[in-house]
Amino acid sequence: MSVYTEPLQALIDELNRLPGIGPKSAQRIAFHLLKIPKEDAARLAESIVVAKDRVHWCRVCFNVCDSDTCQFCADDGRDGRVVCVVEEARDIVAIERSGAFKGRYHVLQGAISPIEGIGPEQLRVRELVKRLEDDAITELILATNPNVEGDATASYLARLIKPIGVRVTRLASGLPQGGDLEFADEVTLGHALEGRREL
Amino acid sequence: MSVTVDVTRLWLDRFRGIAELDLELGHGLTVFVGANGQGKTTLLEAVSWVARCRSFRGVPDQVLVQAGHEQAVVRAEVRHDQRTMLFEAEIKSNGRNRVMLNKSAVSRRRDLQDLLRVSVFAPDDLELVKGGPAFRRVYLDELLGSLAARYDAAAMDYERILKHRNALLRSNSVDASYASTLEVFDEQLINAGSELVRGRLQLLGKLEGELREAYASLASTDTSVECTYESGWSTDALDGSEDIETLRSQLREALHRLRSKERERKLTLVGPHRDDLEIKLGGLGARHYASQGEQRTLALSLRLAGHRVITDLTGSTPVLLLDDVFSELDESRAAALVEWLPHGQTFLTTTGVLPASVTPELTLRIENGKVCQ
Ligand SMILES: [Zn+2]
Repeated sequence: MSVYTEPLQALIDELNRLPGIGPKSAQRIAFHLLKIPKEDAARLAESIVVAKDRVHWCRVCFNVCDSDTCQFCADDGRDGRVVCVVEEARDIVAIERSGAFKGRYHVLQGAISPIEGIGPEQLRVRELVKRLEDDAITELILATNPNVEGDATASYLARLIKPIGVRVTRLASGLPQGGDLEFADEVTLGHALEGRREL
Repeated sequence: MSVTVDVTRLWLDRFRGIAELDLELGHGLTVFVGANGQGKTTLLEAVSWVARCRSFRGVPDQVLVQAGHEQAVVRAEVRHDQRTMLFEAEIKSNGRNRVMLNKSAVSRRRDLQDLLRVSVFAPDDLELVKGGPAFRRVYLDELLGSLAARYDAAAMDYERILKHRNALLRSNSVDASYASTLEVFDEQLINAGSELVRGRLQLLGKLEGELREAYASLASTDTSVECTYESGWSTDALDGSEDIETLRSQLREALHRLRSKERERKLTLVGPHRDDLEIKLGGLGARHYASQGEQRTLALSLRLAGHRVITDLTGSTPVLLLDDVFSELDESRAAALVEWLPHGQTFLTTTGVLPASVTPELTLRIENGKVCQ
């Protein structure tokens, strides 16, 4: 039995389903939302709906974008022979900030994590292999996170793709171990890109 | 000569039963005297929390915050050779803890461990000898982790890889990628596992002599003490002379041998998570054949040996925290312990009278969470 009235409990349950939000945080956010002006709440709800409506996955690389292909795939000035493979679209931001990469991207939308039931089939791996068959790609830089799941994903991809005859490299270590690409600073990421090693 | 690290001042606020406390502490031996439940052990716990960012009593952090309050605060002034540093910890009953060094936030525990290390002995440590293999694995891995951050990382990675691998073995997956995914986690398990085992073996090489010496002086006996690393996957006994490639290939072979059995049991059946450190006293396994008194002395000797090895390898003496150690030892062993104490800073708790040979630099009586002058 819930102690809250039905609509409030429903809100708490929805929030609780979001990543990184536990039951206590869900409660705290729900009570906060009840206290804010009605128009603020409406704006939040609206922005979720609009984002869901207008933001798409790039049909080539699965980055977020608001049209058919993302800015990087559409940019002819970028080197289409080198593709940097990342876990999430937000990782692209970190790499762009380093200024050390002028190729294109592929977003896996996650990493292999058997604990969460995520295997290669749940990621954009099939689409990556397809790209390698069609496009003139000569090198893949695996820029998955420097942690257990990111390393496992990189090893899996290396085993899968090297037989195709594409050069596969991994970002050099020097990134904080167990960390997120998102939190690596520009200098470290720049060095990591320059010193990538063959897999 | 090792560098001295001393906790020179300790402030507590809403930490367990201690509402507020400001304590000046000195070098050498400090004794906290008091009846049970008055807060002696809490003081040791606070010092160790600052060093390790967790309680040595294996309790969740919320337990440390006085009921009805949002946070407990521990501050410690630490003198490291000539430098003075301020460690601050805000332990939250709900939410993320905040740890600061000299007023700036510290995000990783590792960044603190070179600055303040503690060696702890508590009555529960009897389990190191009497308990299952897990207690001895944790003993080795904690020592390794405080020696080098990479072993801390290897142990954490290993644990996570193991969970993933077990999840895979349980999954009944029919995905085409299943076999190669399992192979990826095999390799990860082998890499992190062999790194961890090599660390444990090297550590053991250094520990064994210290353990013998500590046991001989505490028990004033010449009974032999031997340690062997027991693993279910190596073909020969491991003695620390193996290079990493040998460890890798032996672990890999064992995984291959057990492949079908692991599928059947849906569990990783070999690896450092199942290994043990066997201790023999006079040729017999101490876990099953030593007397309770011998086991207690051996447990304390394991902690003191670890303390010596850390001092030796890092060049700085950890602060030694001995909880209720005399209740475990007879008069002659207590005297031998005091004789044996290293030159660094030691905090010791006791409920009763001290053995005559103990002459602390400072004795503080703790009653109801307060220091009675
Ligand atoms: Zn794109």
